[in-house]
Amino acid sequence: MLYALGQVGTFTTGAIIMVSLDRSGSMPSSDLTRRTLLARITTALGVLIGVALGGSVGRYFLSPAWKLRREGWVETARLSELQESSPVKVNYVQRKQDGWTTTEGLRSVWLLREKDSGVIAFDPRCTHLGCPYRWDDARGEFLCPCHSAVFDRAGKVVSGPPPRPLDRFPVRIERDVIMIIPASAGGNINELK
Amino acid sequence: MNLNDWLDERTGWKTLKKTLLDRNIPKINWWYTLGSITAFLFIMQGVTGIFLAMNYSASPDHAYDSVNYITHEVPAGAFLRGLHAWGASAMVASVLLHMLRVFFMGSYKYPREVIWWTGVVLLLITFGFSFTGYLLPWDQKAYWATVVGTNISTQAPLIGEFIGKIIKGGSDMGTVTLARFFAIHVLVLPAIALAFLLFHFFLVVWHGISAPPERKKEANDEWRR
Repeated sequence: MLYALGQVGTFTTGAIIMVSLDRSGSMPSSDLTRRTLLARITTALGVLIGVALGGSVGRYFLSPAWKLRREGWVETARLSELQESSPVKVNYVQRKQDGWTTTEGLRSVWLLREKDSGVIAFDPRCTHLGCPYRWDDARGEFLCPCHSAVFDRAGKVVSGPPPRPLDRFPVRIERDVIMIIPASAGGNINELK
Repeated sequence: MNLNDWLDERTGWKTLKKTLLDRNIPKINWWYTLGSITAFLFIMQGVTGIFLAMNYSASPDHAYDSVNYITHEVPAGAFLRGLHAWGASAMVASVLLHMLRVFFMGSYKYPREVIWWTGVVLLLITFGFSFTGYLLPWDQKAYWATVVGTNISTQAPLIGEFIGKIIKGGSDMGTVTLARFFAIHVLVLPAIALAFLLFHFFLVVWHGISAPPERKKEANDEWRR
């Protein structure tokens, strides 16, 4: 991008000088003096420097807006340890790249083993305002303590304020190990190979 | 009445522009642009420095990694870091050349002595920027250069140890030294530099550009006769 900007800048400067020279060549009594030519070259150089510096600074400052989140597959639990038909809260350690540091945090996920569709991984944050919810075995529903939200086994909203069903993480099962990508549905995911 | 006149009535910017940019100057040469070059470099150092500081961490655990992050991860980070590093060297060079020009053209003489004095302070501030900024990447070169630099200050008789401890923030170089150098580099020196720069500029505008010294032709002619 910078090279492109540089080339555009050089091109404009060149064009301005060529136009100026052309004018003075064809019309001997033109009003283009040495002073105005120098003023134009100075302005062109100023614009060039301003674009190069301003463009770089802008790119540098605004880049977080379009930076993709890099998330990798994280191992959570063994499929054989998972009971069918009852969601289980599983804790796992996630390594995360945070700027120039790598942090390790203990996180959790709700895993539900289904007969036909494998394993569903629910984001442990309520879709209303992000509170951690719990599973009520007797009622067979997820309950959020903050604003009395209720979700069913599949994560659908039964009652309460949540705007959408529970978010799900991508799931992959490899040699009995359940792996997930713990990124919320809203964010861009750039999968790590 | 257009917007320019409207603003001029309320701010007087036309007079300001005339005083600052359209002032009369004597016939001078390109060496007289070195001060402006230095001023441009100072502004560029300020702009690039502000943005570099957004991705920098002044602690021994993170300084090197954060500079690495700027160079390899942040878009245009390597370019801005390069501008800041090369701009620093260029500024030292242009400041020294500017000083030589002022000296050999006799521009420091009456009534411009105070401009020279503020210039001397600004030269020392530039060296301060260079010395404190060099440590910040916290790589081997930066670390050992600053070990040598701070050790030089301890060689002074009697007060050397005292000065060394103040600069390093303790008897050894480490966490406190880096934090101290960063604070001086981005907070203390810019504030002092800005104050002296404005005073320096004000005096330059107040007195005008000095005319280059001329040979006295009449005297020479008389001597030949």
